[in-house]
Amino acid sequence: MAGILDVPKSRINCSMLSQHISRPVCFVGRVEKVHPTGKTFTVSDGEGKVATVELNDPLEEELSGIVEVIGMVSNKGGIIATTYNLLREDKGLFDLELYNEALKVIHDFPQHYPFEVASSG
Amino acid sequence: MWNQGGYSESSMGGGYTQSPGGFASPALSQGGEKKGRTRATQIIPCTVSQLMSASQADEAFKVGDVEVAQVTIVGIIRSTDKSMTNIQYKVDDMTGAPMDVKQWVDTEDPSVDSTVLPPGTYVKVSGNLRSFQNHRSVVAFSVRPLEDMNEITSHMLEVVQAHMVLSKPQTMLGAGGGMSSNITPVSRPGIMGGMGGGYAGANDMANNGLSANQNQVLSLIRSCPDPQGISIQDLKQRLSGISLTIIKQAVEFLSNEGHIFSTIDEDHFKSTDNDD
Repeated sequence: MAGILDVPKSRINCSMLSQHISRPVCFVGRVEKVHPTGKTFTVSDGEGKVATVELNDPLEEELSGIVEVIGMVSNKGGIIATTYNLLREDKGLFDLELYNEALKVIHDFPQHYPFEVASSG
Repeated sequence: MWNQGGYSESSMGGGYTQSPGGFASPALSQGGEKKGRTRATQIIPCTVSQLMSASQADEAFKVGDVEVAQVTIVGIIRSTDKSMTNIQYKVDDMTGAPMDVKQWVDTEDPSVDSTVLPPGTYVKVSGNLRSFQNHRSVVAFSVRPLEDMNEITSHMLEVVQAHMVLSKPQTMLGAGGGMSSNITPVSRPGIMGGMGGGYAGANDMANNGLSANQNQVLSLIRSCPDPQGISIQDLKQRLSGISLTIIKQAVEFLSNEGHIFSTIDEDHFKSTDNDD
């Protein structure tokens, strides 16, 4: 697991999955359906589009709410998750649509929000 | 008499004048006056990748054109290590490998143990960027757990906005408050509506300590070539979006600060700066 945590993980939504095949990503979305086996679940992004997340270890409990998934994008456009965490909403609901707009902003201005570390002098 | 509902600026006119505190024009840097210590006049939202990529000259760091000393980052704690004198976190904001964050603890304070945050906590870190033996870290004066996760979103937007605005050349806002043409192209009216022609909200980001209205008034006064200067009436005509009261308040303030002076009568002003 350590490997993927030490590299840049682009924040993306469903529309950007195809441009990130085989690359590490961070996907924030709302849990839609959990497969009975617990090995996969679907998430929706701020635009309402849906992606599939595959887990190495099946879920041991029900998952719901807003989840932040870190993993690699598969050839099929799904996410093979290395780790995930739920975003708490006890002190305020997470605005997924607004997050989606912020995604567009950071991808429009990569010079001001880089997902890479340039070698420093 | 005066506009009660609007805008409370510092000077009121008449016999009563009020300057904003002891330092009249905060942070007005005239071609780089160097003080002994780093002039950390701003705290800048950043990404870990920007901090790791920042160039370094002596004690000063730069992200592109933007000087950074005090910074904020928002990320998730990946590991925690507590020692007698400090707490070390690794904070991951997805833009690169997790950043080392060190927070000194007060060993006499009994509540210290309860403030150590576990991995998996999303936090906002405020502190100073440091480099020691080529190793970058942030020495934090605040590590605050996020309660509303929308702060993740707001930080992303603040990073882009701060670096975009601070990257522009050190010029005043142009007359009428329009953006300088050197700004990187903006294409989203929906989100960035405020960044277009009407970008008058740059109060905190203006380089000279003046508000947007004061800047607009000053720009117009500066740009007037006539020896007798420009009149209040002309200013009102050219700045149709600003009320006469506010223009008068701005003129009063600028005059008290020494940016402008009256000429043929109390209604005509010229700028004290010679920048023709």
